Amino acid sequence: MMTVKKPETHDAIIIGSGMTGGWAAKELTEKGLKVLVLEAGRPIEPDRDYVEHVPITEMKFRGMADRQETLKDQPIQRTCYACDEWASKFFVKDTENPYTTDPDKPFAWIRGRQVGGKSIMWARQSYRWSDLDFEANVREGIGADWPIRYADIEPWYNYVEDFAGITGQAEGLPQLPDGHFLPPMEMSCAEIAVKEAMARQFGRERVMTIGRAAILTQTHNGRAACHYCGPCHRGCITRSYFSSVNATLPVAEKTGRLTLRPYSVVHSLIFDSQTRRVTGVKVIDGQTHKAMEFQGRIIFLCASALESTRILLNSATPEFSTGLANSSGELGKNLMDHIMGGGADGIIPGFLDRVQFGRRPNGVYVPRFRNVSSKEKNFLRGYAYQGAAEREGWERGIHESGFGASFKSSLRKPGPWKMTFGGFGECLPNPANFVEIDKERVDAWGVPVLKIHCEWRDNEKALLHDMMIQAAEMLAVAGAVDIRPFNHHSPPGLTIHEMGTARMGADPKTSVLNKHNQAHDVKNLFLTDGACMASSSCVNPSLTYMALTARACDYAVSQMKKGEL
Amino acid sequence: MERREALRLMGAASVFSVLSSDLFAATLRAQLAADKGSALRTLSAAQNEIVVAMSEVMIPATDSPGAKAAKVNEFIDLILTEWATEEERKIFLEGLAEADRKTNALFGHGFAAASAKEQAAIVQAFDEELAVSRNEKLPKQVRSWELTLLLPFFEQMRRLTLVGYYTSPIGQERELKVEIIPGALHGCVPAEPEVKR
Repeated sequence: MMTVKKPETHDAIIIGSGMTGGWAAKELTEKGLKVLVLEAGRPIEPDRDYVEHVPITEMKFRGMADRQETLKDQPIQRTCYACDEWASKFFVKDTENPYTTDPDKPFAWIRGRQVGGKSIMWARQSYRWSDLDFEANVREGIGADWPIRYADIEPWYNYVEDFAGITGQAEGLPQLPDGHFLPPMEMSCAEIAVKEAMARQFGRERVMTIGRAAILTQTHNGRAACHYCGPCHRGCITRSYFSSVNATLPVAEKTGRLTLRPYSVVHSLIFDSQTRRVTGVKVIDGQTHKAMEFQGRIIFLCASALESTRILLNSATPEFSTGLANSSGELGKNLMDHIMGGGADGIIPGFLDRVQFGRRPNGVYVPRFRNVSSKEKNFLRGYAYQGAAEREGWERGIHESGFGASFKSSLRKPGPWKMTFGGFGECLPNPANFVEIDKERVDAWGVPVLKIHCEWRDNEKALLHDMMIQAAEMLAVAGAVDIRPFNHHSPPGLTIHEMGTARMGADPKTSVLNKHNQAHDVKNLFLTDGACMASSSCVNPSLTYMALTARACDYAVSQMKKGEL
Repeated sequence: MERREALRLMGAASVFSVLSSDLFAATLRAQLAADKGSALRTLSAAQNEIVVAMSEVMIPATDSPGAKAAKVNEFIDLILTEWATEEERKIFLEGLAEADRKTNALFGHGFAAASAKEQAAIVQAFDEELAVSRNEKLPKQVRSWELTLLLPFFEQMRRLTLVGYYTSPIGQERELKVEIIPGALHGCVPAEPEVKR
């Protein structure tokens, strides 16, 4: 008879090694737990894999990307601005990771499956939510009320900011709370001019501030200050921007209590109906395609919003026939993303004897001003702008006329200052935006895929229109010329702020997770990535995911110590 | 592919029928290129001469090397071979033929054989045509992420010449003096006085 060795039981299993998985690994190992991190993709070796300093001269298509190859393998990922000729290797192959949508309702699911996940390519913008956001649902009677308020998460914002290192400028605005900032990055000449013109016109209603970003402007916790090479999404050998590879995973590793297993595609969770607990994880080895199981006392789902929900949907049991921990029926519902694509650009005259030195990996930011003190007739909630003013480079010559020696000489010098504002608008939770399992299809590892039903609704479209108009108005106020308003169609998903589908809430009947990101139905199961969000705010969500993860880890370990878990 | 292997495939009717015309054309082009010992895979020798001459008219050698020295023609050949669609490639190659026709009509010989002044006149004509067609397309499209070469010939040529030049080692290092690692950020500082190259 074959003897089967009893598999090791880990104190905690974390599914995913990206933004939230990295934080969970750091927090739980530092608190003494033996942790297994399961990552679906390959390992990342910064020395080998980071490509931020590879000059464009060495790229085969000189930055124009391998069009034919990406059309074949990455038709969806290639629509993301960061999936460029250098960094496309950090994005999944769509051919291996299919999903389906309604034919006329595209959703761009942008994904990174590797150690570090999307924290390698993220845009690093880091903003706190305020009670304007946390109270929005209950104030308007939309969706479910958040079970937490700013006061609950504030100490955790402080905590994650102190570790990650966030550059920014305090402004004292109620709708965008200040953080524990490293010194701000400098604005460019034209940005300063626009900021001053806006202050004259709008006072404190519309404030332009420098972007708040998870990039070090000075040495911090053993990581070096930014050297301003520019393209952070291709990696950072000096670890100057925050990612799990650059910051949290090395700390977890140092505790000696971390086991990180790449090539571990999670199929589903194992639920014991007697103990009412999850006992382990079913995994398909990414390379051998062999099925295996891992046991753990608690499980943290940190696989990204839609992947974590997919795992729960694929973990249905006779009792939870529509998905594990789904007694509320809310699992999969209320998918959100920020609507983008509305804004304007224009030329700011002057300052032609001045330049910006260094490539600033950060922009400027105009915090939400709609429905803050005003009450808009045409839409609920609001949007914020990200933007920048830079002198145009040689690329402007592509759209100009002229040729020859004088043309060449003119392109040697930088062009005029061009200011761009692009808005990011809040998306309302709507149960008609939802995901389910497509029973007809599996991915390259045999795991059933998602069918995503999502579209922008009237409120988001109204925000998009307003963000175009107001951006043009702000540029006009600043004396810009050649102002071009734009309003591009951008499918949901492409902003890569997808969230919701396993929302937090006080009531187990209307939410999947409680105020500690713990499943109402399964007490040793936690989910701390974007799936937990009950509304979307208009600010970039990653800092909030980090804070919620650290907070949930603190709660989980305290409950374990009390014998409650 | 060996020449005799290509010929063998072409001779076998069953195989021939499954070869797309694209693949067939590529096979032939590869053959021709291999025979001439040239690295070019799409441009013929005559077409290449036009591309070399026209790109140099657009970005000439001045106090720094120009498009010819930066091998813009090889970049364009790569893009035509491995990046462009059949339709885009056709527009480009037809545009080269048109350049020859225009030059012949005015000066009685092909573009590559024309004097610098004659070549500049032809490029000027293309440039003016493009400016007119752009004005017809107002308002200008902003921030379209999808890079395409489904454009009039001279718009293709302008884009590929500029990209090919400014992303070459000559363009990056000698013309633009790009620093990969600036090491500091200063938001608003005086531009350095222009240095003699």
